[in-house]
Formats: sequence, C-alpha cells, structure tokens
Amino acid sequence: MVSISRSPRVAALLYAIGVLLLFPGVSFSQNTELDGLKEWAKKTEAELQKALQRIDQLEKERAANSARVGQVEKSVQAVQGAPSALNPAIGMVLDADVSHRSKEGGDFNFRSAEIGLAASVDPFARMYGFVNGTPDGVEVDEAAAVTTSLPWNLTAKGGRFLADFGRFPKVHQHELPFVNEPLSVERMIGGETQADGVEVNYLFPTPFFLRATLGGYNKIGEENDRIDNTKSRSWSRFSYLGRLNTYFDLSDNHSIELGTSMAYTPSLRLAGDIDGGNRILNGIDVTYRFQPLDSAVYQGLTVGSEFFRNSERFAFDTLAKRRQAYGGYSYAELKLDKNWSTGFLFDYAPSISSPGKKTIGYSPFVTWNMSEFNRLRLQFTHADDRVREDKADGGNQVFLQWTTVIGAHTHGFLGR
Amino acid sequence: MKLSMKCRWRILMMAFAAAGLFACPALAQPIRVVTTFPDLADITRQIGKNLVSVESLATGVEDPHGVPMKPSFVPRLNRANVLVLTGLDDEHSWLPALLEVASNPKILLGQPGYIDCSVGIPVLEAPSRLDRAEGDLHPKGNPHYLLDPVYAKIAAQNIAVGLARNFPQHQAEFDRNLKAYLAELDTWIARWEKLAAPLRGVKYVEYHPEWVYFANRFGLKRVGSVELKPGIEPTPNHLVQLAQQIKQEKAQVLIYGSQNPRIPQQLQNETGIKVLRLYTSAGGRAETDTYIKWIDYTVRSLVQAVS
Repeated sequence: MVSISRSPRVAALLYAIGVLLLFPGVSFSQNTELDGLKEWAKKTEAELQKALQRIDQLEKERAANSARVGQVEKSVQAVQGAPSALNPAIGMVLDADVSHRSKEGGDFNFRSAEIGLAASVDPFARMYGFVNGTPDGVEVDEAAAVTTSLPWNLTAKGGRFLADFGRFPKVHQHELPFVNEPLSVERMIGGETQADGVEVNYLFPTPFFLRATLGGYNKIGEENDRIDNTKSRSWSRFSYLGRLNTYFDLSDNHSIELGTSMAYTPSLRLAGDIDGGNRILNGIDVTYRFQPLDSAVYQGLTVGSEFFRNSERFAFDTLAKRRQAYGGYSYAELKLDKNWSTGFLFDYAPSISSPGKKTIGYSPFVTWNMSEFNRLRLQFTHADDRVREDKADGGNQVFLQWTTVIGAHTHGFLGR
Repeated sequence: MKLSMKCRWRILMMAFAAAGLFACPALAQPIRVVTTFPDLADITRQIGKNLVSVESLATGVEDPHGVPMKPSFVPRLNRANVLVLTGLDDEHSWLPALLEVASNPKILLGQPGYIDCSVGIPVLEAPSRLDRAEGDLHPKGNPHYLLDPVYAKIAAQNIAVGLARNFPQHQAEFDRNLKAYLAELDTWIARWEKLAAPLRGVKYVEYHPEWVYFANRFGLKRVGSVELKPGIEPTPNHLVQLAQQIKQEKAQVLIYGSQNPRIPQQLQNETGIKVLRLYTSAGGRAETDTYIKWIDYTVRSLVQAVS
C-alpha cells in the first residue's frame, strides 16, 4: 500500500483492473445509461453553444455601445473644443472709394462696411443677415428667414430683405459690375429694393427655368421715403409684387435671361391728405451672356438692360396729378482675362414727379480683380443732368473704388 | 351593343394592368440622377445600368471651381432623385447657390439623396493653416482625387451605397454592377501601372494644384505651380522664378487644363518644357467620354509627352 500510495499512476491502474475484474459486464450491459450520458453530453454541448453565442452577442453589443459612446464623446469634445462650431458663417465687405466731381470736388468716401451672417436654423429653414455701416449710421440691411423644405416647389421668405424686383435693384451696391447704382434705379425704385414683408417663390415644373414670385411689403425701396415703414395702416397701403423670371441656353456658350416685374400699391396717400390713388411700377429686364465653357474664368461678355415705368399721382399745390415716367439703363461688360474686365454703362433717369426732366449718364469703367476677394475699379462718368436735385448727379466724375472681402461672403443665386 | 361577360373581364383585367403599371413609378421611369461632373455620371451609369437616367451639370471642359451658375441647371436639380458630387468643396463656388433655389429638399446636404463621393478618401494636402493669404484654399483638402483610379473605386462604392440607401429594392443589382465595375477598374489599374512605368520620377509643373493624386499613384514629382497660390494668377516675379526652377530641376512637362494657354506657352518658349493640356474630368474631349477612357487618355498622353 505504501508503494501504491507513493505512485498514483500505478494505484489508478490497479483500481481500474480491479473494477473490470469485479464488474466484467458493466460497460456492455448498461447501454441505456451510456445513451443517457450521450444525450446529456449533447444537451450540454448545445447549451454551451448557446452560451457562447450569447457571449458573442453581448460582446458585439458592448463594442457597439462603446463605439456609440466614443462617437458621442468625440462629438461632445468637438463642441467643447470649438465652441464656435455651431456659429453662423460670418464675413465682412469693405467698400470705399476716392472720387472727384467737377461740380463738387474730391472726397475720400467710406461707402460701407457690411457684416454678413448665415446659417441653417433647423431642418426647415435657414437665416441670413447683413448689417451695414455707412457714414449715415448702422442699419440692418437684410435679416430674413428662408424655408428649405416646403412642398410643391415653394420657398417662403420673411423679414427684411431685397424684394425680387428686376435684376440689379435687388443686388447690393458692392456686387454691381460698376461703381454706383444706376441713377434710374435710385430714382424710380428708391435704391435697392429693401423691403419688410413676406415673399413666396414658385419654381414651375417645366424643362426650362421658370420662376414666379409673389410678395407683400410695407414698402419697396431703401430710400423710398414717401411711405413710412414703421406705421400701421390699411392693407390697401401696402405694396404687392409679382415677378416672372425665365432663362434659356441658346447654345453651350450663349444664354439669355428675361424677367418682368410689377409692384402695385393700391392706395398711396400724399402729403396734405390728398388722395394719391395707386402706384404701379413695372420693370422688364433682359440679360445676354456669352460664357465659353472651356474658358469662362478668362473670357466672357454680358449685356444687360432694364426698363422701368412708374405711374403715380403726385401733389402739386392743391392738385394731385398722375405722372408716368419711363427710365432704365443698359450696360455691357467684357471679360479680358481672369483679373481684368472693362465695360460701359448708359443710364436714363427721369424725375418721377416731373418726367420731362431727366439725367443721362455715360460711364466707361475698368475692373481689376486681384483675387476673388480683392477688387479695384476705375470709372469715369459724364452725366447730363436736367433734374438738378443734387449737384452730385451731374457733370464729370471720376471714381476709384476698392472693395475687399474677408470671411464667408455670398449673396446666393439671385446675386449671380 | 351589349358586351359579353368574357369581354368585360378582359377589359377589367387590362384596366388593372394599366393602373398597376402607372402606380409603380420604378417601372414607369428610371431613377433620375444628377451628377456635378461627367466622370461621376459615367461611374453612376456603370453601377445603375438601366435603372438610372444620369445627367451631368458640367461638361468636362470647365474649370471645376468656376462652372457657370446656369439657371438651366435648376430644373434638373429640382427633378433629381439623387445628386452625386465630388465633395471636398470642389463645387463650393456654384452648387450651393443652385441648391438654394432648386426646391428639392431630398438632395440637400445631409439628406439621403446627397451622395458625396469623397467619403472615405484618404485626402491629400489638407491645409494646416486656414488663411486666404494662402490663396483659394480647400479647407477639407485637395478635391481632385478622381485622378487616382484607385480612389475612383472608393467613389464608385459611395455611389452604390448612396443609390441603395435611396432605392433599397435594387441593392442586389447595384452590388452586382459595382463588383463587375471594380473588377474592370482593377484590370485597367494593373494595365495603367505597367504603361505608366516611364512616368516614375518624371518632374512636372502644373498650372493649378490638381495633379497630386495622379502623381502619387504613378510616381511623378511636382516641381512647382504656375499659380502664385491656389486660384491666384502668377505675378511676373513668380514666373521668372518658376522658369529658373524648371531649368534647374529639369522639369519635363507642364500640365494645364481649363486655364488660359498663354502662360504655359510663354514658359515653353523660355524653357523648352513640354506643355500638355489635360482636363481634370472625363468629357473634356470627345474620346474621353467615360472615366476609364479619360484616365487611359491621360496616362498615354503623359507617357507620350515624356518619351
């Protein structure tokens, strides 16, 4: 026994032989027990497989959870690390010139510094704003919300913005191809078509571009001071607008764009409580473009014209008379290479209260784009002024304009 | 006249069949895809086959950053089921403004119909400093990755995933077509790598930084750019320095695309460098109307120029 206990292997062997000698028929006679053991082994194996699968699944879930947690952590870190991440795009445009007018003399002129902001509001709207500082003060030039997901090809805009009248009247001055807004736009519309109100656009489901605009506003025209922008009044004293705009490719390189606009004010009360009747302002704009696709950055020609008709009653002492005035401008701009372009502007600007008096301007100009964001422009203007409201409108004038942009800056599709 | 019962049944069945046909838009009309450039249009056609109707906004000859913002693009974007674009701000100067007026929420950034092919591209030349003093920078990196055919495979996968995301009922077909197209691309890539062997170590000058992905794939070395900074035309001083650099480093070829040929020709006259006009998209020439034909033409033209 001592020797057996000393050697466990020998002990186990002797024990096994003993069992076999004592119970020689066990392994053959108890088949049912063996089957039971086999079944038990199978069940155990199946359960083990299930447990392993469950472990796999739990591991996958844990990995997915930690990945999600990782993503959230990353996102939180990104926001914490860059608190400006959700701020709007911001930019600033400086527009300045030095001028000499034969009737007034010279002037260094800080024209404007425009700060622009734009961002999505939520999945349904975006918002943009332009705050403009000029020598006259600081003003919210535009601040509007625009829908992004209305059905039926509709877009709605509300707030203060440039109403969709004509082509250049709704373009900021520093974006124009010449130094100053045409005098015809200034006199007949009242400068840029700034308006407080609401506008709805509809894109027709046609194979060609056709877009309609309907709008309602307090008034149209930044410098149109015949209507008080701040007073409540009858709905007949608001201005309503309709516009149709279409475009055709004549070939790959040539295109033409047409637009017609009408602004209607049903009742316009004149100073002294004289009933002024309605005001109708019509506009037609035509733009031809030659943009050779393979060199559009270097070559091109744009020829554009706008014609306006204003029909309105004006007070003369105790009388009120309806006056119809016709005016407009035409221009051509030739792109010489990537940096240089030159052009000519012809401007026909009547006085809307005395249409017989008019100012006719001729302005050749040359532009040097040092880059997309840095531009110098030299313009000479000869204006034959018979209206004589402002000395600055007549005579010979020379301008050297410098326009620079920092940050994000875009006026979108309408300002193209 | 009275219709027989059999005749009535026939009419009824025909009416049901007609109604079913019109009620199922997938049968009535293909998926409308608008792409920004013709190379993406071709790849989309290879994956969508007869399930898609594809049109490209640009034709392939334009400067990719200065495609004219034509209002005629607006109705096409308005009707599109999906939009396929290069991404990495390649189209930033013209596409966002068109999308603003296209009245199609399905294809806006972040929506399922907005298929950005740059997802997963190992981007090169991401700027370390964002400042316009460095020119017209692409904040997300160089967007001309389709000049590397290996990266075109990633773009193709993005298109297949994007199409399947919008039209899951056709996923099997998109996957099958993608697999076949990737296999075809692999065959061509092996062929181009052999063909482009003479380009290894060739020094080149480019007008605009567009060729870095192609150069990395086929072993060319960039000596300089005609532009002073990306998007900024050269100053006379810069051109003098560049001409000296071309001579010193023995640059063999100057590549330009949609840019004005005046300056490349001037440098050719001064230094003797070979000048080659190669567009950075398919469709720039009649013989490069597909992605594969375009890369093949590009490789062959460069090999011929340096031989």
